[in-house]
Amino acid sequence: MTFAPPVTTRPDAQLDTQFDARPDDRPEHHNALPDGGRVPALRPPLIDAHDLTRRWGKGSSAQLGVDRVSLTIERGELAAIVGPSGSGKSTLGALIAGIDRPTSGSLVVDGTRIDQLSDDRLARWRGRSVGIVFQNFHLLPALTAAENVQLALRLADRSAGRRERRDRSRGALDAVGLGDKLRRLPGQLSGGEQQRVAIARAIVTRPGLIVADEPTGSLDQASGHVVFDLLSELAAAGTTVVLITHDRQLAAESNRLIEMLDGMVEHETLAVDRGAASIARPHASTADVIVGARRRPAAGHADMLGVPS
Amino acid sequence: MSRFIREFRRAPARILASVFALSLALGAIGVMGVPHVASSSLRDEASTDVIANIAIDTTDTAGVPIDSLVESIDDIDLAETQISAMVEIGTSASAGPWADRASVMQVLGVDVGSQQIDILRADAGRLPTADGEILVVEGLADLGMVIPVTDMAGETSTLTVVGIGGTSYWSGEQLAFSSFETARELAGTRGSNRLVVRADGDADELRALADTIGDTLADADVAVVSLPVTVPAGQHPIEAEIAQVSVLVGLLGIVAGIVALVLLASTTTTLITKRSREVAVMRALGGRQRAIRRRLRRLALAIAAAAVVIGVPLGVLVSNYIARMVLEEFVGLTPGFAFSVPVMVGSALFALVGARLVAARAARRVVGQPLATALRDRDANPFGRRVSERLAVRIRLGGLLERTGLRNGLHQRSRSLTMLAQITAAVAALLVVTSMATTVTAFNDAEYAHWDYETHTSVPGPGLDMPGDLADGHAGSEMAIETVGEYGDWMLDVVGAESGSTFLDAGLDEGRWYAADDAAEAVLSTGFAQRVGLGIGDSIDVRLPNGTVAYQVVGLHPARGRYAFLEVDSLSADLGSAGMANVLLSAHDPSAVLSTADGATAGIYTMQHLDEVTADENGRDAIVLIFTAIGLVIVSVAGLAVASGLAVNVYERRHELAALQAIGGRRRHVTRVVFAELAPIAVVGVALGVVFGYFGALGIVGAFESADAVEIGLTFAAGAIPVAGILVVVGSVGLGALMARRVTRRPAAVTLRSAA
Repeated sequence: MTFAPPVTTRPDAQLDTQFDARPDDRPEHHNALPDGGRVPALRPPLIDAHDLTRRWGKGSSAQLGVDRVSLTIERGELAAIVGPSGSGKSTLGALIAGIDRPTSGSLVVDGTRIDQLSDDRLARWRGRSVGIVFQNFHLLPALTAAENVQLALRLADRSAGRRERRDRSRGALDAVGLGDKLRRLPGQLSGGEQQRVAIARAIVTRPGLIVADEPTGSLDQASGHVVFDLLSELAAAGTTVVLITHDRQLAAESNRLIEMLDGMVEHETLAVDRGAASIARPHASTADVIVGARRRPAAGHADMLGVPS
Repeated sequence: MSRFIREFRRAPARILASVFALSLALGAIGVMGVPHVASSSLRDEASTDVIANIAIDTTDTAGVPIDSLVESIDDIDLAETQISAMVEIGTSASAGPWADRASVMQVLGVDVGSQQIDILRADAGRLPTADGEILVVEGLADLGMVIPVTDMAGETSTLTVVGIGGTSYWSGEQLAFSSFETARELAGTRGSNRLVVRADGDADELRALADTIGDTLADADVAVVSLPVTVPAGQHPIEAEIAQVSVLVGLLGIVAGIVALVLLASTTTTLITKRSREVAVMRALGGRQRAIRRRLRRLALAIAAAAVVIGVPLGVLVSNYIARMVLEEFVGLTPGFAFSVPVMVGSALFALVGARLVAARAARRVVGQPLATALRDRDANPFGRRVSERLAVRIRLGGLLERTGLRNGLHQRSRSLTMLAQITAAVAALLVVTSMATTVTAFNDAEYAHWDYETHTSVPGPGLDMPGDLADGHAGSEMAIETVGEYGDWMLDVVGAESGSTFLDAGLDEGRWYAADDAAEAVLSTGFAQRVGLGIGDSIDVRLPNGTVAYQVVGLHPARGRYAFLEVDSLSADLGSAGMANVLLSAHDPSAVLSTADGATAGIYTMQHLDEVTADENGRDAIVLIFTAIGLVIVSVAGLAVASGLAVNVYERRHELAALQAIGGRRRHVTRVVFAELAPIAVVGVALGVVFGYFGALGIVGAFESADAVEIGLTFAAGAIPVAGILVVVGSVGLGALMARRVTRRPAAVTLRSAA
């Protein structure tokens, strides 16, 4: 591990790639997407879902959140899940993040069959392997920004000492440009700042996967862009990011665009198919590319989309 | 109604929990009705049995028609004679008093079938009519049983049980009823030896009337041998016996009331506060504040009304259950069903008016929030706004999880204070209850601590039936007198003992012992003397069975209770039976002394060791049982209230706790957060509960000391502190685990989605 926390605050909110990079864990090609988003599948996909279904209740009153969804997301991708309200995108994100359990189907994340883990093991897995960013931030209101970040580290890595936790949380907050607001309580921060704390909390454990559910939904446009830039840079640095959003403009920046409707995957598009810009160039308008996306069956796999293996 | 049903459908669990908790609290308040229910039950019995207003034990009336004599006295409506005889159950003629010393039974001869006072009734079998037939109180013997007995003269015979029943006047006594003839044979009298009278008047008037009766009897050469019992019209003689327990139970009802008040306030406030956001939306849509406040108040009132419907009858059941326990344990009487209208109305008003007032305040607060703030924030008050919260952030106490819990406890200040009050009340109630039990036990022991005999032998019955010189020449044995007297309104234990008695603790707090001659000198127990304002040199008029005698106070003794110690010969003369006694105190087996007795004393004796007298297990067990029942009710209500408060707290923070889970927190982490919030409240609650419990018990004991002019002395149940602590810790851990389980049962995503 080459983590060396920065000692200065950078208010321009640029993610410190040195902090975030995991060169010891990831293949060389992660930081370079030479073909504009197509990821050589030298290793198994990070996320491999098969016939994933989430249903609440039983009988005629049952509600279907996700209906027989199968998909794969490769390592280092920025995958966006879009769809209208009630389409199941947040449910799918929650299943991938391990904060909800599928009613049926299988879900393998980074080689772990997480749908079969016990509650405690799943919680431990979440702490170590996934960072979650919510629309409503969900920071603990009685803890300061630094303490919120430290808490994630504390839950994920018991071996980290107090000093190490403090240093790493400071580093993470520095990375999101909040190094000068360590002792602020969530109630004393703006929405954008709270979301950046949430991102710092998500990345401080150096997870391989970040699931962000409408991370810009509660923010103004400027703050939303800052947050999206952070996530983009994380992806660029090799972390797999699953972005759930209403915002098609932001989604267009992704490597993989998954469109959902009525609990099923309506379209799945790779950036290369769309001719989209690399995730290294955010904010490019890609609406036209999305319109031209190829329709596909709900139970599709990456290979069905022509992703080379 | 339909609106309430709609509200109920929205949050059935919360509303049911509120109604249940409030109902239980109101039920606990019902404990305050115990004194009324107990006395009411007793008075019903008194009315049914036509209980005597004056009862007097006399010497053998022989051929004197004392009932007719007494009925000629003004203000006396009716008089009847009875015959009281003491018999020993079993065939002890050969075994002597040592063999069967506890099996003594009183046989009361009445004019069966013609009674108009203390009317005998048979609950099973029939009334005794023929010679040798008896009706016994419940539990003494079975129907048809033939009981061999030895009478006062040492003659043996048999009595056949033909009925089970009695009158409530004699509840708790081992008593049999017979015809006049049967009792007369057993007592060896020619006439009667007991008089019961019906007359109107209060206690003072009846006492004066009893004196007049005594004078009338004296004129006919009939002596009164025990202090007359006076029972004002409509009352029951047992009421006085259970008054202290009833009052104590009522006081504990006040503690239950305080717990209920806190519960009512927290439940109502929570119900309304939870609707802050909904209220804000209604206001934003143009709802008028007054209408919204009215709607909130009605919701709270509906819940309180539902609680009243369940809780008040529950309170009636609780009070009847406890009253029944008190009466059965203390006097062996099973009362009928009764209820206290004032307590029922009071507790219903308490719930409705309390809910109305608390709801009005909470509604004003909810409606009074700035609309923008209310719409923006779920609790309109994010952590960190108060100075105390900002200061708390600077104090890095415990781990991160503990800090979360601690700071939330600080943030939810009023709820924390409510839970603190509930734990404090529960611990205080527990300590008061246990301290009362230990105090009663200690008092029972201390009451006899000044005695130092091995055996205490007496002839049952009110008179002085043992020769005063029986122990003469027997080392280690003394004759004494035990009787009851009155000073003002106070009943006194009047003890006649030899000057320089070796069986009585000689140490005095002040003054000296009475002289050996017949000087009218008395030594009083210090606690009693102080509370009635008597000191050395004062004169005290003691009302004895056959008249009032003045004594000079010469010493104060540390004995607890209301005691007057007098010289034994002086007292026997004052009782009109000079040279007689009724107790043989001995440092050993008294058989040798008793074998020299003749005449009346050759019959039956009851003998007890000092340790048997002081143990008094039954009374203590009864008190502990009753207090435990009340304590459990209070602790349950408080526990429920704390659980309710904590549940609301956890419910409100479910998104925060779900977020904790989302970032890797496991159930044990959630438990730690919940427990960290509860732990300081529990610790402070226990500490405050100990303080309040101590002073509460001290206050109750002090009140009894003042009311009874007796030194009781608090024996604080310090041993119960760790028990209370463990209970609170176990309860807190259990509650924390339960709440964490509830929170973590749902997937975090489901909880978090509802926050979005």
